[in-house]
Amino acid sequence: MQVAMNLTDLTLPLDSMFSVANSTALVAWVVLILLPRTQVLRRLIQVLAVGGLCVAYAVLIQLFFFPVPGGGFSTLAAVQRLFAVPGVALAGWIHYLAFDLFVGLWIAQRADAMGLSRWLQAPVLVATFMFGPIGLMLFGLVVAARQGWRKPQLAEMAA
Amino acid sequence: MTAAAMAPAPYDPARTALDISILCLALAVPSAIAFGLDARTINEVNIWSKPLKFQWSFALHWLTVAWLVRQFSSPPVSAPSLRWWLRIGAFASVVEVFYITLQAARGRASHFNFSTPLESCLYYGLMGGAAVLMMLATTAVGWRLWRQTGPVERRTGLWLGAVLGLVVGSILTLLVTAPLAAGVIDGPGHWVGGTRTDATGLPVFGWSTTGGDLRVPHFFTTHLLQALPLVGWIADRRRSQRPRAWVWMALGVGMAWMLFTGWQAVTGRPFWGG
Repeated sequence: MQVAMNLTDLTLPLDSMFSVANSTALVAWVVLILLPRTQVLRRLIQVLAVGGLCVAYAVLIQLFFFPVPGGGFSTLAAVQRLFAVPGVALAGWIHYLAFDLFVGLWIAQRADAMGLSRWLQAPVLVATFMFGPIGLMLFGLVVAARQGWRKPQLAEMAA
Repeated sequence: MTAAAMAPAPYDPARTALDISILCLALAVPSAIAFGLDARTINEVNIWSKPLKFQWSFALHWLTVAWLVRQFSSPPVSAPSLRWWLRIGAFASVVEVFYITLQAARGRASHFNFSTPLESCLYYGLMGGAAVLMMLATTAVGWRLWRQTGPVERRTGLWLGAVLGLVVGSILTLLVTAPLAAGVIDGPGHWVGGTRTDATGLPVFGWSTTGGDLRVPHFFTTHLLQALPLVGWIADRRRSQRPRAWVWMALGVGMAWMLFTGWQAVTGRPFWGG
C-alpha cells in the first residue's frame, strides 16, 4: 500500500468559485424574495442553487478538509486552523450559502401556508440571507406569536 | 376515503433496493469531480479511482436487485424477514461505500490498511462485516424469489437467472473474496507476484499486467448477478424452448471462467498482457 500526498500540486481557481457560489446564492435569494412562488422556480432554486452548492461543498471537503494539520471540530483553535486553509474556508462559506438558502425555502413555504404577507416575509428572508439564524429566529417568533394569538380566539369560540 | 385507500402501501423491497442504488450514485457525483481535480494517489493511481468503482458497482448491484424484484411482483415478493434483510443490506452497503469515500478524502487506503489499530479494526470489522451482510441480504432476496414465485414465471429463464444470480452469485462472491480480503495469497494486497502497483494496470479495471490480480475472479463472479438474468432474459425474448437450460449453461461457463481467472491470479499470471 502506497499513499502519495501532494496536495500542493492542486491549484483550483478558488476565488472564481467563490464568486460563482455567491452569485448563484444571490440570484436564488432575489427570486425567492421577489418573484411569484411557482413550483418551477422553487424546483430551480432547490436543484440548481441548493443542489449545486451541496455538490461543490462535497467536492471541496473531499479535497481539502482532512489533510489540514490539527484541523477538527472539537476545539475553537482546531476550527480556526480549518478556516485558515482557503479551500476549507470556501467550503465553509458554501455551507452557509447552501443551508441559509434551504432555510429560506422552508420559511417561504411555511409562511405562504400560514398566509403571511409577502411584505412581511421579505425582511425575514433578507435577515436569513444575511445572517441565517437571526432570520430563522424572527420567523420563529412570528409563528409563535400567531399561535399565541389564535389559541385564545379558539377558546372563546368554544365557550 | 375508503379503508383500502387509507391502508399503508404494501412493503415494496424494490423501492428499498432502488434507494440504496440512488444513494451510492449520489456519492459518486462529488467523487467523479474530485477525480478530475485531486492530485493524491494510492498505489500510483488517482485516489478517487477506488471509491468511484465501488459507488458505481454498488449502485449497479442494487439497481439489478430492484429490477429483478420488480419483474416478479405479482404476487408481491414480500415477507417480514425480507424487510429486515433489506434494511440490513441498505445500511451495510451505504456504510461500506461511505467509509471507502471517507478514507479517500482522508488520503488513506481503505482495503489492506493495517497502519493504525483503528483502520485495521475497521477493515475487518466494518468493511468485511458490511460486505458479508450485503451478500447475505442479496441471497435473502433470491431465496424469496425462489420460494414465492408463481408456477408460470418459474418456467422463464429470467426467473432462474435471477435466483441463481442472487443466491449462487452471492455465495460464490463471498467464497472468492474471503481469501483476497484475508490476504492469504501473497497478501496483503490484490497482487500476486509482478510489480505491486496499479499504475501499469489495465485501463478502467486497473488489473495488473505484470502479475496475478485477485480482483479479476472477484469481478467476474460478482457480475454473475447481472450476467445470469441477462442470459435468461435473452433466452425468453428469443422464445427459446428451454430458456432455463441456457441459464444453467451460462452458470457453468461463468463458474469455469471464475476458476480459470482464479487460477491465473493465484499462479501470478496477468489476466491480459504481461
